Amino acid sequence: MLADALGDPSGPLAGAGAPPHDFYFTRAAYSGYGGYQGWFVDYPKADRQFLIGLRRLTSLNSYEYENAVLLTDPDLGRFPFLYAVEVGFMHMTDEEVLGLRRYLHAGGFLVVDDFWGSSQWANFAYEIGRVLPGRPIEEVPLDHPVFRSVYRIERIVQVPNVGAGIRGGPTWERDGRVPMVRGIFDDDRRLMVLVNWNTDLGDAWEWAENPRYPLPYSTYAYRMGINFIVYAMTH
Amino acid sequence: MSAAVEWLLGSPPVAFAEGEVTLAAPWVVYGAAVALTAVSVWLLLGYRVPPRRLSSARRLLLAALRTAAFAVLLLCLFQPTLVLSLVVPQENFVGVLLDDSASMRIRDEAGGEASRAELLLAAFAEDPAGAADALGPALRETFVVRYLRFADSAGPVATPAELRFAGERTDLAAALSGAADRLGSQPLAGLVLLTDGAGEDAGEGLDEVLLDLRARGIRVFPVPLGSPRFDVDLEVGALDAPDRVLRGSLLEVRIPIRARGLGGQVARVEVLDEGRIASVETVRFDQDDVETAITVLAPTEEAGPRRFRVRVAPAPGETVTRNNERTALLHVEERVVPILYFEGQPRWEFKYVRRAVHGDGQLRVAGLVRTAEGKFYRVEVTDEQELAGGFPDTREELFRYAGVILGSVEASFFTQDQLNMLRDLVSRRGGGLLTLGSGKSYHAGGYRGTPIAEILPLALTGADGGTEAPDGSSSGPSVAERNFRQLAIAPTRAGRTHPVVRLDQDPLVNQDRYRTLPLLSSVNLTAAPKPGAVTLLEGVGADGTREPVFLTQRFGRGRAASLTVQDLWLWQMGAEVAVDDPTHEQFWRRLLRWLAAEAPRRLEVAVDPSRPSPGEAVTIRARVEDASFLAVNDVVVEAAVTRPDGVVEAVPLLWGGQADGEYVGSVVVETAGIHAIEARAGGAGFADRSEREPASAFFEAGPPDDEYFNAESNRELLERIARETGGALIAREEADNLVERLSLSRSGATVIERRELWNAPLLFLLLFGFLGVEWALRAMGGLP
Repeated sequence: MLADALGDPSGPLAGAGAPPHDFYFTRAAYSGYGGYQGWFVDYPKADRQFLIGLRRLTSLNSYEYENAVLLTDPDLGRFPFLYAVEVGFMHMTDEEVLGLRRYLHAGGFLVVDDFWGSSQWANFAYEIGRVLPGRPIEEVPLDHPVFRSVYRIERIVQVPNVGAGIRGGPTWERDGRVPMVRGIFDDDRRLMVLVNWNTDLGDAWEWAENPRYPLPYSTYAYRMGINFIVYAMTH
Repeated sequence: MSAAVEWLLGSPPVAFAEGEVTLAAPWVVYGAAVALTAVSVWLLLGYRVPPRRLSSARRLLLAALRTAAFAVLLLCLFQPTLVLSLVVPQENFVGVLLDDSASMRIRDEAGGEASRAELLLAAFAEDPAGAADALGPALRETFVVRYLRFADSAGPVATPAELRFAGERTDLAAALSGAADRLGSQPLAGLVLLTDGAGEDAGEGLDEVLLDLRARGIRVFPVPLGSPRFDVDLEVGALDAPDRVLRGSLLEVRIPIRARGLGGQVARVEVLDEGRIASVETVRFDQDDVETAITVLAPTEEAGPRRFRVRVAPAPGETVTRNNERTALLHVEERVVPILYFEGQPRWEFKYVRRAVHGDGQLRVAGLVRTAEGKFYRVEVTDEQELAGGFPDTREELFRYAGVILGSVEASFFTQDQLNMLRDLVSRRGGGLLTLGSGKSYHAGGYRGTPIAEILPLALTGADGGTEAPDGSSSGPSVAERNFRQLAIAPTRAGRTHPVVRLDQDPLVNQDRYRTLPLLSSVNLTAAPKPGAVTLLEGVGADGTREPVFLTQRFGRGRAASLTVQDLWLWQMGAEVAVDDPTHEQFWRRLLRWLAAEAPRRLEVAVDPSRPSPGEAVTIRARVEDASFLAVNDVVVEAAVTRPDGVVEAVPLLWGGQADGEYVGSVVVETAGIHAIEARAGGAGFADRSEREPASAFFEAGPPDDEYFNAESNRELLERIARETGGALIAREEADNLVERLSLSRSGATVIERRELWNAPLLFLLLFGFLGVEWALRAMGGLP
C-alpha cells in the first residue's frame, strides 16, 4: 500500500543513465496509524517549495523535485538526508526499523518535523528507541554547529501550521507549547537524528508563497532547513 | 700445453710476454750473412734449369723449403736473445694481503667440506703436508714475504695463523692502498691478494686506488677463494623503504630477493616490527637463478624508532643463511598532517571524507565549503584566523597544509596566483594535490591550460566540439548528462600492490572486495594518463570499456593524484556495503596519508651514514625553509644527539655555504645502539611559532652486517683488480705461475738476464724439418 502511494519510490534513480544530483530532498516513507496524518503530510508541495529556496540560496546542486523513499528500500543509503513528518503517528514495521537503523549507523541523517505534544512525543520516542536502542534524545544547544553552518540561529521559534499562522495564533497544537530542537548523537558526538518538536517547518515552506502566512516563519524555516542540510553534508 | 711451449722455446711464454727479444750478433756476422745469402741465391738458381720431370709448382715448393731452412740458419747466426728483467732472489718483497673478514668462514670449498679460511691457511702453512705447490713456501723461496691482514681495517701480521676471520666488512680499497703505502718504499715485486672479494661494498672506492697502483707500477695478483656461485641460497637484497612513516600508515617495503637453485619452489617472506610479525608474503621462483623483488605492505602501529626486520625462511641445504634477513631502522612518526579540503559546493563526498578520517589522530582535514557565492563554511580549523578569508591567497597560508583536496570547484574561482600557488604547493613545497571528479572538475571546470593541468596525472586534451560548455549552458543534454556513466572499480596491476589501493593482503580477497563494492559514477570526459602517471584504479563501463579512475604522478618535490569518479561516498552508504565495512574509511585514510605524509616540513634533519660503526663520524644535515618554503641561510640550528646511554651531546649545525638552507654538523659515534637526533632552528627567519617544532631522526650504530651479503666469490671484481693493475688472476694451485709472474714483474730490485735463443729446440726442429722435407721431395722426384 505504501509503495503504491509513493508511485515510483526509486524516483530520481529511475531511468539509469541520468546523472545523479549532489542532493535529493528525501522524504522518509514509513508505516503508521495516523490515517491522513502520515509521512505524506504536505507532500510534495512543501518539498518542492523548500527546494526552490534551497536552490536559490545555496550553491548546492540539488534535484528540484520531491523524492520519497521507503525505509526498506535498499537504495536508501544513496540519500543521506532524510526528512520525516508526523512521527507522532509513526508505527514502523520491523523491516523499516532495520532499514533506518542501518541507514543511521552508516552515516545517514534524519530530520524529524511537525509533531506536537507529549503523547506524540511518547510515540516518537518509542519508535526511535526501536531504531537506536539505548541512545538518549538530548537537547541541542544553540551554540551547536547545526545552528551556525550557514545562518546564525539565535533562538528556537515555534512555527505554526498554516491555519494557525494565517489566523495569527495560537502557534501551538495539543500541549506542545514550547518548541524544542533535540537530537540523537553518535559515539563521536555527531548528530544522527535532529528532532523538531512542537513546530511545523514543513508548513512554513509549503505556504511561503501565501501572502497571508507570516513571512518571518517561512524565513526562519528556510534558514533552519538549509542549516540542517549543510550540517548534514559537512559533518 | 704451456710446459711443451716452454720446452720448445727454452723459456715460459710469460717470459716472452714480459721480456724483450733482441738480436745480439756482432757486425762480422752480418757480413757473413751477406756472403751466405749470395751463396744460397746461387744454390737456388740450381733449380732454374731443372730436370724436365719436375713441375713448376714442385720446383717452387722445393725452393721455398730451402729458403726457409736458410732463414732459420740465418736467424741463429744473428744470435736472438731474450732479455729479461728478473727480480733478485730474496731481495724483493711481496705483499700478501689476506682476507680476515667473516665471509671467509663460509664453507663452500671442496664441495662444502672446507671453508675459505681453511684453504687460505693451508696455502700458507709453514710446513705444508703434501702440498708442494702451496703458495706460501713457493713465495718465500724467492721473495721476502710480508703478510698483511685486511677486513674493515688493514694491518701487518707476522704469520697467517694470526688471522681470526671475524672482520665485519671487506674494504679492498683500504687494504690495497694500505699495502701500497706500507711496502711502496721497498723493492716490491707485487701484491698477492687472497680474498673471496665478497661483501656488500667490498669494491667501494676502488677506482682511485687502482689508478694509483697502476701509476706506481704495483701489480696485484688476486688469488680467488670460495665458490663463485652457491648451489642453494636465498639472499635478501638492500631494502627499499622510507626513512620515516606516519604511525598507522602502511609501510611499503620493496624487498629484492635472489634465489639460487630453488626453481619451482616457494619461500615465505616475513616482515617483523621489533620482533612481532607485521606482514607475511610468499614468493615463487620460476627458475633456478632468479633475481626478483616483492613489495610488502606492513602496518605501523607504534611510534618511535622501530627495527623492521625482513626475513626469508631458509631453504634446505642453503650455504649461507645469514643473508636471509635484513633490518631497517624506521622512524614511525606521531604527528598531525594538516590537509585542506576545498569544495565549491556542499557535497556528500566532503561529509564522508571527514567521517573516514575522523578518529585518525595523524590526519587533520580542515574543510572549506562554498555554501553560496562568496560564502564559506569552515570545519576543523584550529583558530579563528584559519581560512577566515576563504581559500588561502598567500603561499604562507596555503603551504601550512601538506596536502590539498580540490572537489567540485571551477578553475575560474581561483586567481591566477592561487593556481600558481597550488602548483608550487606540489612542485616546490613538496605537498600533495588530489582532485576529485565532479561537474566542475578537469575539462568541465575549465582547467585545461591552467597550472593545475600541469600537475595532474591526467592529460586534459581532447576534442573541443562544445563538450566543455558549462553545465546546462546550451539546449539539449548537459555535459554531465552526456558524459555520465557508471563504472565498476577494479585495481590495476600497479594498484594491486599499492598501499592506497590494496584493500587486502590476499590478492584474491582483494579482488573480491572490489567486485562487491557499489558502482561509482563519473561525469568527466575520459582523459588519458600522462606518460609519467601510474593508474591505480580503473573503471569498467557497462559496455566493458575501461578507463583510468585513480591516477597518480610525482611532480617536482610532491605528488599529484586524480580521482575521476564523483561519489566514492557510496562505498560507505551503498546498499551492497555492510555498515561496519572498513573499505571507505581505509581507502581515504591511506590515500590522504600517502598524499601528504611525506611532504617535507620547514625543518628536516637527516643523517649519513644511516648505520655507522662505532668510531665512525656521522654527518647530520638539516634543511631549513621559511613559511613559504624558501631556503633560509641565517638561522641558528642545533642538534641534540641522545646516545643509547642517555647522554645528550649538543652539535651545532652550520650553514656550509654550498646549498641554500642546508646546515651541517657531525658527531663521532662512540657506542653501538640507537641514537636520537633532535634538531631545532631559531632566529629571525624561523619566527613562526607553529613551525618551531623540532625535527627528529634516528640512527643505529653497530657492526655492519654486510659480510654475508653478496657472499659468493666475486671473480669479476678480482679480475678487474688484476686487469687494471697489470697483474693476473692466479688459481690457488698455480704457485709456480705466481712466482714466475712476480719474478718477471719488472718492479723491485731486478737484474737483467739474457737468454740466448739460438739453441732453442724449436729452431733446430724447424731447420731439420725444412731440410728433411726438401730432401724427401727431391728423392721422390728422383733428384740427387
